[in-house]
Amino acid sequence: MTLPLDPSLWSAVRLVLHVAFFLAIFFLLKELVALREFAQLRHLPKPKGAFRIPFILLCLLFGGLLIYQATWQLTGVYRPEFISFMQLHDRRTFNPAHWIQRGRILDRKGVVLAYTREEQGRAERVYPDGPLFAPVVGYSQPRFGATGMEAVASAHLNGGEPTSLNDWRELGRQIVARDKRPKGKDLVLTLDADLQRLAAERLGGHRGAVVLLSPRDGAVRVLASLPSYDPNTVDSGLFLNPNASAPLLNRATQGLYPPGSTFKIAVASLAIERGFEGTLDCPANGFTTRAGYRRIRDHEYYTAREHGEVWRGYGRIDLSKAFAKSSNVFFAQLGVLEGHDAFYAMADKMLLNRSIVLHESPYGNFSLRTGELPPLPDSDNYGLAQLSIGQGRLLVTPAYMAMLAASVANRGVAMRPRLTEASPSEPLGRFMSTATADQLAAMMRRVVTEGTARSINDPRLTIAGKTGTAQNAHGDPHSWFVGFAPADRPMLAVAVLVEQGGYGSAVAAPIAHDLLIRAQEIGLIH
Amino acid sequence: MNATPKPPSRPSTLGDTWALRWPERHLLLLCALTIGLGFMMVLGSGYAGGRPVSPLDLLPFGIYGGCLAVMHLTLVAARFHGDQILLSSLAFLAGFGLLAQYRMGTLDFSDPTNPGLYLFPGGIAVMLAVCIALVRGRYERLTAGLWVWAALSLLLVAALLALGQRYRGGVYGVGLITPTELLKVTVVLFLASFIDRHAKPLANWGKGFPRPPVLTLLPLLAFWGLLAGMLLLQRDLGMFVILSVTLLVMLFVGTGRLGYLVLGGLAATVAGYLVLGIFSHGQRRIQAWLAPFDDPTGNSWQILQGLSGMYSGGLWGEGFGAGNPEYTPIAQSDFIYSVIGEELGFVGCTLLVLFFLIFFSRGLGIADQTRSGFGRLLCIGLISVLATQTFLNLGGVTKLIPLTGITLPFISHGGSSLITGFISLGLILAISEGPARTQRRGSRASKSTGSKRAPVKQPRAAGKKSRARKTDDH
Repeated sequence: MTLPLDPSLWSAVRLVLHVAFFLAIFFLLKELVALREFAQLRHLPKPKGAFRIPFILLCLLFGGLLIYQATWQLTGVYRPEFISFMQLHDRRTFNPAHWIQRGRILDRKGVVLAYTREEQGRAERVYPDGPLFAPVVGYSQPRFGATGMEAVASAHLNGGEPTSLNDWRELGRQIVARDKRPKGKDLVLTLDADLQRLAAERLGGHRGAVVLLSPRDGAVRVLASLPSYDPNTVDSGLFLNPNASAPLLNRATQGLYPPGSTFKIAVASLAIERGFEGTLDCPANGFTTRAGYRRIRDHEYYTAREHGEVWRGYGRIDLSKAFAKSSNVFFAQLGVLEGHDAFYAMADKMLLNRSIVLHESPYGNFSLRTGELPPLPDSDNYGLAQLSIGQGRLLVTPAYMAMLAASVANRGVAMRPRLTEASPSEPLGRFMSTATADQLAAMMRRVVTEGTARSINDPRLTIAGKTGTAQNAHGDPHSWFVGFAPADRPMLAVAVLVEQGGYGSAVAAPIAHDLLIRAQEIGLIH
Repeated sequence: MNATPKPPSRPSTLGDTWALRWPERHLLLLCALTIGLGFMMVLGSGYAGGRPVSPLDLLPFGIYGGCLAVMHLTLVAARFHGDQILLSSLAFLAGFGLLAQYRMGTLDFSDPTNPGLYLFPGGIAVMLAVCIALVRGRYERLTAGLWVWAALSLLLVAALLALGQRYRGGVYGVGLITPTELLKVTVVLFLASFIDRHAKPLANWGKGFPRPPVLTLLPLLAFWGLLAGMLLLQRDLGMFVILSVTLLVMLFVGTGRLGYLVLGGLAATVAGYLVLGIFSHGQRRIQAWLAPFDDPTGNSWQILQGLSGMYSGGLWGEGFGAGNPEYTPIAQSDFIYSVIGEELGFVGCTLLVLFFLIFFSRGLGIADQTRSGFGRLLCIGLISVLATQTFLNLGGVTKLIPLTGITLPFISHGGSSLITGFISLGLILAISEGPARTQRRGSRASKSTGSKRAPVKQPRAAGKKSRARKTDDH
């Protein structure tokens, strides 16, 4: 007996059987109740109703159980943890959790970064810009779950709690009509799609990261990490293949790099805070803490030697000039002068060795690492000299460097970076005093007007910043630029990192310049 | 007897009994029809899913219908005039269980030697045998075996403890049979006998500050201590909870003393803390209950998969046989309720619960109409075992309470549980038949002391006792 069965016929028959089964049970129940009188036990003494109250209590108990059951079975959509569990782990294709019309994810101007489309009778997430926003938006996918803001804002995107009578009415309609398309709510990010696109474009084929944020309220405008992955086509290969380009790594928030000269911002702030004034001698043959250790020299020394010339050194210079010229010899001495304790106290105050949670939820957090600064023996002055020029064992993330620049721009106070418009802005901590920040801001402006970042000095916008060319074990140096603009009333802070990009002034700085100019054009700087 | 428009209350002829039992006939026919529709749904889904259908697939339904017919005819032939509603609601519940097991594929009908095939007929046979053997007040004789029941209970647990095999944190007999299921009958028999025999001293809490009569309770407490110790050694917390609730309910109903429930509640709190402190097994379940999403792929996997299935089912369900209950581990046993939720929806679950409530209500009604102290206690004890078991199972599956790992009576996969349920029902049916006929009552009264004392204490127990009877079920 294996006759082919027409599926549409069967589904009609199934519906009829389903209804008939319920009706039959219902009728049986009715008859049971109706015949109770008839089938009374007349041969026994009359009932006294002694167990009426216990029976009522029993009914209440089971009634309560059914009501509780309904909070899972019927209104389970309002249990976000439950929904995300099912999206991740339930393989029943008819589970409505797979059909939820999650809300869209929008940038600050309403550009759609993610939306839900019905594909072959199943809700599917679409990311129009492919890999571009993946580092922030993440992906939501039945097989591999969710990451990024898709995970963090899962409850909101799935619909959240019913707040109005309308929400409840809609829910009732969905339950009775078996409409398996619960609708979610949109999420508005602080990102600017235009700037993010430009950042990725300007990074070109390089690996790297760009972070742009507002110093006053922490709103993140750009958070780009390249290479990225396409969240539309997440498959197991993405997770399995050991890949040097590590597309899943969010370089902006998790990638650890030596900061190079950009870290001189922190060291300069330390010196200013501790009242350093005056000059240090910066000879051409550099500085070392002990004979036999490789000498720390300035960049100009090497350039001159390459051209077969002799460089005579900076001589005695002050902090501002050393900062503008990015003198390694100066800052190495400065760090050693301030000493271990002061250096590590500053690092602690500036939140190194931390993970900062930007958005928290039961389904995952969006957090950024600040950096890694391992402890150093008190006797290791050479190590300290290395740290003071942003080399050695110090590693930081691009997002942290943007925060550092933003703290200078915001007169010493670092704000917690935030990714959604709805989240409140809150201070994270004071990195330096107001006076220090002001002085440092002026020094950073001088870097652009007459220092290492002269090439991006643009009459249209007063940019302040610091370049970095960070030596690393993998090849060419990483190219850095961190800064803010406009210098007198900062509205955007920026950090650009190009892996093995070469000189900071030649590669990273122009990218930052272009982004800031574009930001001015679209009104983010006004 | 003269024929009257109303069915005769005390039939003596076959024809009278046949007339008296027409509601049962009517209801059993409806049950067969309903369950038949269910079988068609399951078979149809299997067929649509590409499973070939053979005539042998109709065997379980045939067995079910045959059993109902034989059951009815046997009762008529035995001139049984006891309860019909309880029996009919059980027929539906057991049929529903059969259907659910058939749907889960735990009944393999291709192999005629499969013992699972004969479980339902066997259960019906056992039920009829127990009922007919103990009918017309003969069940009163069970009270004489007071200490036999106690010894048998302890022996059952001890034997399992000595010979059983460990599996999934519990102890089972050979072939995963659970002989301790029988405790649900033997312990209740012991309690009913004991409480009925000592009803007066047990109700005497003294003047002034109320305190329980410890001296009278002593044998009971000693028995309970032994039983509890051995059950907890086997990690059978669920069984212990069921029996303890039943003990308190029976003490309360037997004496009318609310104090037993209060003391019992206190003892349960203390014992709960102690037991959880000792058993990691219990702690894990509490953890999975309180914070299921802390370890969703570990401890809470089963319960969350069950709930996922229920959420998928929604209000009406996907249709019997059309869901994917195989994604819930061991769904056919403890989690059968979540399968029903998945395939028949919230409506199906509600209907099932209503049938259970009708069943319990009728059981309580029989106890209400029974004037024999022993019969009344036995009836209440058996019903509270079943009600507690049902609540613990449903509550566990819906995450209302921690999982206790016990089965849903008459529905879950599990032979021992099913047979025990049928034995309990046989006892209640025998009680519902009432005492011996009037002409023989005088001669029997001398035998059973219990039934004579019963009317004396009934009024005291009946009036105020009832309130908190079920309150500590959860």
